[in-house]
Amino acid sequence: MLLCKDLNLKQEQQTVFRGLNAAFKAGEFWGVVGQNGVGKSTLLAAMAGVSQNFTGEITVDGQSLIGINPLQRAQKLSFLLQDQEPCLAFSVKDAVGMGRFPWQSKKQSDAIITQEALATCRIEHLQNRSILKLSGGERRKVEIATCLAQQSDYLLLDEPLNHLDLVYREHILQVFTAISQQQCVVMVCHDLEAIRNHCTHVLMLLANDCYLAGTSATILNKDNLKRLFNDHGKSD
Amino acid sequence: MRDGLVKLLSHWWFWSLLLLLLVLLAMSVGSVNVPFELMFDRESAYFEIVWQLRLPRIINAIMVGGCLALAGLLIQNLVKNPLADPYLLGVSGGAATVQLMVIITGLSLSQNSLFAVGFLGSMMATLLLLKLSYQGRVRPDKITLNGVVLAFGFAAVISFVLSTATGLQIKSMMFWLMGDMSFAQPNVLMPVLLLVSLLLLLKHHRALDLMARGDLFAQKSGVNTQRINLMIFVITALLTSMAVAQAGTIGFVGLIIPHLVRMIAGYHHRQLIPMCVLVGACFLLAADTMARTAMSPIQLPVGVFTAMIGVPVFLWLNRKV
Repeated sequence: MLLCKDLNLKQEQQTVFRGLNAAFKAGEFWGVVGQNGVGKSTLLAAMAGVSQNFTGEITVDGQSLIGINPLQRAQKLSFLLQDQEPCLAFSVKDAVGMGRFPWQSKKQSDAIITQEALATCRIEHLQNRSILKLSGGERRKVEIATCLAQQSDYLLLDEPLNHLDLVYREHILQVFTAISQQQCVVMVCHDLEAIRNHCTHVLMLLANDCYLAGTSATILNKDNLKRLFNDHGKSD
Repeated sequence: MRDGLVKLLSHWWFWSLLLLLLVLLAMSVGSVNVPFELMFDRESAYFEIVWQLRLPRIINAIMVGGCLALAGLLIQNLVKNPLADPYLLGVSGGAATVQLMVIITGLSLSQNSLFAVGFLGSMMATLLLLKLSYQGRVRPDKITLNGVVLAFGFAAVISFVLSTATGLQIKSMMFWLMGDMSFAQPNVLMPVLLLVSLLLLLKHHRALDLMARGDLFAQKSGVNTQRINLMIFVITALLTSMAVAQAGTIGFVGLIIPHLVRMIAGYHHRQLIPMCVLVGACFLLAADTMARTAMSPIQLPVGVFTAMIGVPVFLWLNRKV
């Protein structure tokens, strides 16, 4: 279980969200929604253990993220960054293979798992191409495949559907759904239709440190959606 | 045909062979040319020239070239800036400043003590930079700017000292500023340092690959980025300080060799690390041999030739790849 307790999220020393409590379990597919700047990405980065910009406690399977061994952390949690500019011409295969780093395992089993991830994301035909010579959507697929190759228990995805075409979106959402049968997937996303159709649970971050968490069916109703889009900014 | 040549260049045995040939060539040529068959003849009059004078300088060039190229690879990885160079850390400036201070005070130190002083100076400069760029963790983004600014500060001190120095002092000062292999004796610490660095870096080659794609990417993938960054910083500082202490400021090697090696050997540090050392060694040995022989008996600064070989080779490869 990935547990957030009394979480205060900060951005550049400024608190953006106070008092969040949430628990994410295996077998759940969470959609995280909220207006721009409400703290969705900050929350995800904190839960992925790559940001110390929070107070409160985050534990993964009972172990605090502060002071955890980075390898162990990456075996539990994988994190899809919102935007990642590639700088060196690694091949697609090698880039996806980097997801195997936390396991420090044998080359052979790594190669098999990498191939599986490439196949799942339907980018086998690109595997020898340089990551610098990909389109925006193809690059996104490579990053998703890298997270899949990591085979972690929790998948934290920051706007995974960006740059993807409509057909591929449906495909990758089904992949996430399949993964969430055994593992836990948490997806920040602005596409409410996708969330309604695929996510089992929803975390809705609202203004003034309010939030709603629960199953999709209970959260995604007319009144809540109104609150999501009508609260503009924080009132003092 | 160019493809074939690039492929040939990507093999480590090609560079090992080239290095061996260069060593033999460098032992043979100079103010007197020694035929190959006489080089190994103990009775020959040239024996001493070859083994006592030329070989130490050859070893020195190989070590300094290897250290600088490896340091360049590391610093480019650390600050994620393709224009980074080992001297970006201000280490050469620190070494030169302290050494010039010692020379101008008139303390007549032996050559060896001057090396030691230079090494201390460069380490002090690096520690200062680390202190300035450390905020709970190494901040690669701060290192670049702080390093450049510190180097300017050192340059100002050096200009001041040079403009007040007497003619005799200036000659020995220029050694540190232009880079010269003719004085230094091989230092046993250098191969040890290079070997230890190589083993340590090769152990972390996968982490270094991930770091090259960005610190955040590496961190989320399970790399202990703070520790690796600190390791890179310390190794770079040691390698560069050692090279500066041995041979003064030799530019260009640390900047160009890592780029060249990436073009021919790809982006994996498992290959990049040993290849950089090998190619850097070949490159500096070739440049130093030319500097020694081109206008012999006059010895030219090696920096002239690092640029004269490096610029065309680099531009040709950059067009190709």
